Amino acid sequence: MTERDHTEGVRTDGGEAQTDGGETDGGAGLPANVPPDDQTPTWHDRKARTQGLSRLTYEYFERARYEDQVLRQESDYVERDVLAFPTWPHETIRNLAITSFFLGMMFFVSAALPPHLPDPADPANTPPVILPDWYLYWSFGLLHLDPINPNLAILGGDKLVSDRVYGVLANLVVVGFIAMVPFLNKGSARRPVEEPFWGALGVAGVVFAITIAIVPIQNIVAEFIDIMTINLLFALSFILPVVAFFIAYAVLKTMQEGYMYELNKRYYRLRPPR
Amino acid sequence: MSLEPRDETDHRAWMQERDLSPIEEGYLYGLIYLDKRLRIVDYLELMEDMYYKINLQMPKSHTEQYNLDNKFWYWYPLYSLGFFSIIAYIVAAVTGGILGFYYSPSTAEHPEYTYVAYAHVAQTIMIDLNFGSFLRSLHRWSAQIMTAAVFLHMLRVYFTGAYKEPRELNWLLGIVLISLTMVFGYTGYLLPWSQLSYWAGQIGVEMALSIPLIGEWTAQLVFGGFTLGEPTIQRMYILHVFILPFVVTALIAIHVGIVWMQGIAEPH
Repeated sequence: MTERDHTEGVRTDGGEAQTDGGETDGGAGLPANVPPDDQTPTWHDRKARTQGLSRLTYEYFERARYEDQVLRQESDYVERDVLAFPTWPHETIRNLAITSFFLGMMFFVSAALPPHLPDPADPANTPPVILPDWYLYWSFGLLHLDPINPNLAILGGDKLVSDRVYGVLANLVVVGFIAMVPFLNKGSARRPVEEPFWGALGVAGVVFAITIAIVPIQNIVAEFIDIMTINLLFALSFILPVVAFFIAYAVLKTMQEGYMYELNKRYYRLRPPR
Repeated sequence: MSLEPRDETDHRAWMQERDLSPIEEGYLYGLIYLDKRLRIVDYLELMEDMYYKINLQMPKSHTEQYNLDNKFWYWYPLYSLGFFSIIAYIVAAVTGGILGFYYSPSTAEHPEYTYVAYAHVAQTIMIDLNFGSFLRSLHRWSAQIMTAAVFLHMLRVYFTGAYKEPRELNWLLGIVLISLTMVFGYTGYLLPWSQLSYWAGQIGVEMALSIPLIGEWTAQLVFGGFTLGEPTIQRMYILHVFILPFVVTALIAIHVGIVWMQGIAEPH
C-alpha cells in the first residue's frame, strides 16, 4: 500500500489504516496516512523512482558522485588538514596581518592626502580640460576615435556611423574581446612564458590602455613636448602597443628557450640519450 | 492517550547517570532547552555537512607537489589583490554610510555655495563635522584603492591564466563586477555637484544619447533628462547608495563563493 493511496482515499472510519498493523493505537491519536516505518520510501528511493528530467538529473548526479570518488582515490589527492598550510592559526594570522597593514596604509594615505574639492558646478563655464576619474581614461579615450572612423565612398564620403556611436561601439568591442578571452585561449598553461602570444597580447593591452588615455588630452601633451604633433601622438597611441607586443613577445620567447633549455638539461641528466 | 517518554529521549536521566561538571551541565541544559524549542540538531547536521564540504580532499596544488613554496611566497601579494579590493569596499561602505547622514542630493540654490549638495560636502561634512574631512578623504581613497586593486586583480588573473577552463564564468562575472565598480565610482563622482562632477555628467548624457535607437530613452532613465539637474543627482544618489550596494555585494559574494568552490588557480 503506497503513500499515494492513503492520501487520495477518503478517510471514513479509519478502519483501513488499522488493518495494516494496528500501530495507530486504536485510531485515537495518529493520522491513518502515516505508512509504517519499514514501508516508508527513503529519499534515495524517491529520487531513483522519478521520471523524465528529474530522473536524468538523478542519474547524472550519481555518475558525478562516482567520478568524484574515483578522483579522490587517485594518488595525488591528499588530506588538506594534514599536508597543507593550516587555516588556524597560520593562514588567519597572516591574513589579519595583511588586513591591518592594508587598513593602516589606507588611513595614512587618507590623512596625508585629502582629496581636492573643485568649485561648484557651473553650466555656463566649460573647463579647459574635461576628464572623468582616472579609471575611465581608457574608456574616454576610446570615445575620441574620430580620425579612424571610416567614411565610405559609396555614401558619398559620409561616415557609416556617427563619431559618438563609433566611440561607444569601440568600448563595446574592447570589453567584449576581454570577455571572450577564456573562450579563445584554452589549455592548461599558467605562465606567460608558456604562451608568449597571450602574454604579449596582455602587455600590449596594458600599453594601449595607457596610450589611448592620452588621446583626449593630446593637444595639451603636444604643447608640452616640442617634437610631438597631434597626428603623431594619435598614430603613436596605436603604434606603441604593437611595438610593446613585439618586444614582450621576443622577451617571452627568449625566456621560453632558456626555460626549455633548463628543462632539457635536467631531463637528459636524469636519462642520458642512448 | 498519554505518550510516555522513551528511555533514549529521557535526557535528564542520561545527564544524571553521567559525571558532569557544572559547566558541562549548564551547557547541556541550555542546549537541550533550545533544541526542544528550535530543533538545533537539524542545523547541526547542516553545519556538519558543510564542514565536510569545505574540508574536501583537494588535489595537491602545483606548489605543494613540487615543493615550490620557497620560490612562490613573493607572489602572495598578487594573490591577495581581490581580498584587498573587498577590504577597500567594506571601508568605503562604512564611511559612505556615515557620510550619507550628512548629505542630501539636491541642486536647490544655496546662498553661499550655489547648490545644496555642494554645500553639504563643502561645509557640513568638510568643516562642521568632526573628522568629516578625514571621513570624506577615507571614502574617496578607499574607492580609488578598490578600483586600482580590481584592475590589478584582473591583470593578475590574466597573466597567470587563472581564467581558464573551469573558471570562464567567474571571469565573465568579474568583468560585470569591474564595470559595476566603475559605475559605482562614476555615480559617486557626480554627487558633490562640483565643476568636475557636472562635466563628467555631461559626458555621460552625451554617451547615453549616442546609443542608437534607445539613446534618448536611456538618457531619460539614467540621467532623468537631456540636461543635468535635480533628477540627475537624485538618480545618481539612489544608484550609488541603494541599487549598486545590493547588486555589487551579492555579485561579490557569488564571485568569492565560486572561487571557494573551484579553488585558487596557482601557476604551473
